[in-house]
Amino acid sequence: MKTILDVNELCKTYIVNKRQNNVLRNVSFKIEEGEMVAVMGPSGSGKSTLLYTVSGMDRMTAGKVEFCGKDISALKENELAELRLDDMGFIFQQMYMMKNLSVLDNIILPAIKSSKSKESRSKTTSRGRELMHKLGIAEIADNDINEVSGGQLQRACICRSMINHPQMIFADEPTGALNRTSSDEVMEELTKLNNDGTTIMLVTHDAKVAARCTRVLFIVDGVIKGEYDVDRESSERDRERALNNWLLEMGW
Amino acid sequence: MYFRILKKDLKRKKTMNIILLIFVILSAMFAASSVNNIVSVTNGLDYFFDKSGMTDYFCAVRGEENTQKVNEFLDSCEYVTKYGSEDVFYVNSSNIKRGGEKLYDFSGVGILQSVDACYLNLFTSDDDILKKVEKGKVYISGASIRKSGIKPGDKLSIEMNGIEMDLEFGGFIKDALLGSEMMSNPRFLLNREDYEEILKDKTTAEYSTGKMYYVNHTDNRDFEESTAEISNCLIFNFTKSMVKMTNLMNVMIAAILLVLSIGLMAVSFTVLRFTISFTISEEFREIGVMKALGLKNASIRGLYLVKYFGIAVTGAVIGYFASIPFGDLLLSAVSKNMVLGNDNSVLYGTLCSIGVVLMILLFCWSCTKKIKKLSPIDAVRNGQTGERFKKRSVMSLGRSRLGSTGFMTINDILSAPRQFGMITLIFTITTAIVMILSTTARTLDSDSLLYLMMVKPSDVFISDNDLSMNTMAGIETVEETNRKVEEILSENGMPGDVWLETWYKIPAEFNGTKNNVTFLWCADTKTTDYQYTNGSAPVLENEIALTKQIADSLGCDIGDSVKLTINDKTDEYIVTGLFQSFTNLGNCGRLCEKLDIADIPPAMTFYYQVDFDDDPDEEVIAQRMEKLKDIFDTENIFDNTGFTKDCMGVADTISTVRDMVLILSLIIIALISILMERSFITKEKSEIALMKALGFKSRSVISLHTLRFAVVLAAAEIISAALCIPLTSIVMEPAFSTMGAIGKIEYKFDPLEIFLIYPAVIMAVTTLSAFLTSLYTKTIKASDTSNIE
Repeated sequence: MKTILDVNELCKTYIVNKRQNNVLRNVSFKIEEGEMVAVMGPSGSGKSTLLYTVSGMDRMTAGKVEFCGKDISALKENELAELRLDDMGFIFQQMYMMKNLSVLDNIILPAIKSSKSKESRSKTTSRGRELMHKLGIAEIADNDINEVSGGQLQRACICRSMINHPQMIFADEPTGALNRTSSDEVMEELTKLNNDGTTIMLVTHDAKVAARCTRVLFIVDGVIKGEYDVDRESSERDRERALNNWLLEMGW
Repeated sequence: MYFRILKKDLKRKKTMNIILLIFVILSAMFAASSVNNIVSVTNGLDYFFDKSGMTDYFCAVRGEENTQKVNEFLDSCEYVTKYGSEDVFYVNSSNIKRGGEKLYDFSGVGILQSVDACYLNLFTSDDDILKKVEKGKVYISGASIRKSGIKPGDKLSIEMNGIEMDLEFGGFIKDALLGSEMMSNPRFLLNREDYEEILKDKTTAEYSTGKMYYVNHTDNRDFEESTAEISNCLIFNFTKSMVKMTNLMNVMIAAILLVLSIGLMAVSFTVLRFTISFTISEEFREIGVMKALGLKNASIRGLYLVKYFGIAVTGAVIGYFASIPFGDLLLSAVSKNMVLGNDNSVLYGTLCSIGVVLMILLFCWSCTKKIKKLSPIDAVRNGQTGERFKKRSVMSLGRSRLGSTGFMTINDILSAPRQFGMITLIFTITTAIVMILSTTARTLDSDSLLYLMMVKPSDVFISDNDLSMNTMAGIETVEETNRKVEEILSENGMPGDVWLETWYKIPAEFNGTKNNVTFLWCADTKTTDYQYTNGSAPVLENEIALTKQIADSLGCDIGDSVKLTINDKTDEYIVTGLFQSFTNLGNCGRLCEKLDIADIPPAMTFYYQVDFDDDPDEEVIAQRMEKLKDIFDTENIFDNTGFTKDCMGVADTISTVRDMVLILSLIIIALISILMERSFITKEKSEIALMKALGFKSRSVISLHTLRFAVVLAAAEIISAALCIPLTSIVMEPAFSTMGAIGKIEYKFDPLEIFLIYPAVIMAVTTLSAFLTSLYTKTIKASDTSNIE
């Protein structure tokens, strides 16, 4: 299988009030094509920093990160922006969207911005509508972003992350701001995407969410303490129980 | 706890608080300086006249015999309450030299006098009364002399009838009577000893001396009618209202600055209100949290009021002190010629600053009404409650043909019409002010107002003071001097027809109403060469045309017969037409060329006008004008445009004011662009971070933010350019009508200036300001999506 993300000895340090804060310490891991990896850990352990650093949104202090064979530490800001636009998708805990655009326009915006995309504006629009239809939110296409529910908006964010056919989707607590029903719906969609071949890396606090992934990385104080392969063949309840047991072992 | 929250707020929202403070400073500065300027300008002329000790009537008289007559008249006139006089002698521009050359070609007679003979108070540039002139020094009044570029310390010489006296220029004086742009009679003030030294020459003492009279009287109309009997003795005479009119251009410039000040104040308050409203609406989270913790509406409102009160007081104090030099800067174009003070400037400034503080608290009070609407849930839902009253997105990206940046620019503007509408309005006001001034300056700097001088267009206008003086003194007739000029032209290879417009002061009477009317007459032109607003040109010798002002003052109309006393002979003349003219501020008439008055010396003359025989093109005329300057030893050789400009006298000042206003407008526009863009960045931090996270390059974000200002400004410039002529007409026509133009004025504008240069300069400054400020978006990273509040 092709390695999508290869992280080696990754370090991230913040200087706050002249004090050095080592958020990530020599973190190394790989994510293969088609995987769905969850990053778990206590608050302040460096989960989100890890996600933002490996996706090129934040600069690393040391180490090496290769995304689809490209060393992202060597890329300039503009090259990183292109990489995020064309090869990565992002889903945030807060459903950030451009407030002056309709839901559909928010979804197709990255495709129209992409210089790689050669398709016509109408084709892009109908593809956006298809994606919305697939995720069950076709009826809110022309709505403003604050005319829809949180669950609908997060599914719209998933559509937006998918619009440029990314190599990988990064999700930072995608269900963190949702109720259980909406959370289940969103995870259902992400699992479907993964089953269709999309590689996903997500940060979560929720074992139920992590249990839907193929692998779980457990991070404490900026160091990966352990990895857990989820048995997707077993039932959802069994997966969740096994994962919780592992997390207990890790000191969760 | 209360103050700890405040302290934290001031520190954490430093940028927005600083922006607010800057706007408060600007508001206080504009308000204090504008109100002081309003008081100074509206009372300006009265204040200046009052300080100068101006009287109701003024006249200049030459020669012993005339002086005697005027003395007798004033002593016997029942309407005169008080009068005074100054001993003076009259000079022309060839008597005042710098480095052997004429200092400046002033077209009227100059008045030379000793400082201790002054009846009026004359002021130095520091607004002190000039009481003493040191021996060897000379002070000069008259705005036109400033064009000579003379500076204090420069050496001058007075050369009269063989006497030559070297003097040092001490400075300009502010002269309520003769100091305005439209007056062509400069005043030279000397030390008593120097003055008497010049008068030692018998010719000067005999032929050039005279008196300036300052008269206070009771009944305006009766007094003016009674002056008809001395009209032949006067070189020139003015009523107080006419002197006020000559200062009209100064007042007009001051009024323009006033409009600008008020505009700036309005701009500042509008932005201030927007900023306060915007900062409060962005604080939904804090307000929600405070409500969740149990704080009451009044306490939360009090917190914001205390905060804005602190900012307002700080800003108002700084603004008040900044208003002093700023106000002086605004008035500098006017205060060169006038004493523009008000005795209560500190009081007004302080009241304005207090007014700004109260206004801010009022804004804050109205804006904080919103606090009642915000609930604890706003803290949880980031201010989005799901309530919507209107659709925000107005365009569809899918259907648009614009690129993503272009689309978002237009969509952002249309989605926030109040916000961007306000910026458009501000840009429109500032751009329109510049365009109005540009059009006015251009109109004054063209020949489109020539017809209002009541002269016929000609190839060149020549000023020859000596020949003109000869005609006025009766030494030569107009016909004789015209032939002399023609001969000079022929000798120099540029033959042409020469004519001279002359002014006669003629007593007129209609149905018992008398007036001393200035009549224009020229033997070598036809009355049909001039424009009339009503009726037709006088074509018979017993026909006349009058301005509307004169017809109204006499109570006559077209078809009426008016009695005119010419050379002690009274006849009836039929009014055939009405016209408009700037000549004598619209108080004049025209006699038919067939009337034979060629032997009567005129009271005044215009310039010699020439139409060359060979009908040369503009280039040849320009070359000939240069030649004529050497031949007639004068700089006052003009074409139609130059003559109009010279008569109006304020084209250069208006141009200077226009340039000053342009610079000021650019500063204001730049400041607004910077501050608004900075507040947009603060407001849109999450969206900027999101765009970057989605893969937008920094340059796309910068382009979007810069383009929004460019598009808004482009709209403002189109509106301003479209409204340029109607707005200029609305603003300037009242001023022109006061000067005598009662009909429509044909405004000239330079398309290059209006449609290209000014828009391009304003666009460049705005775009650059917005661009440089938007570079700050580079500090917002994609990863900031994780820590946006």
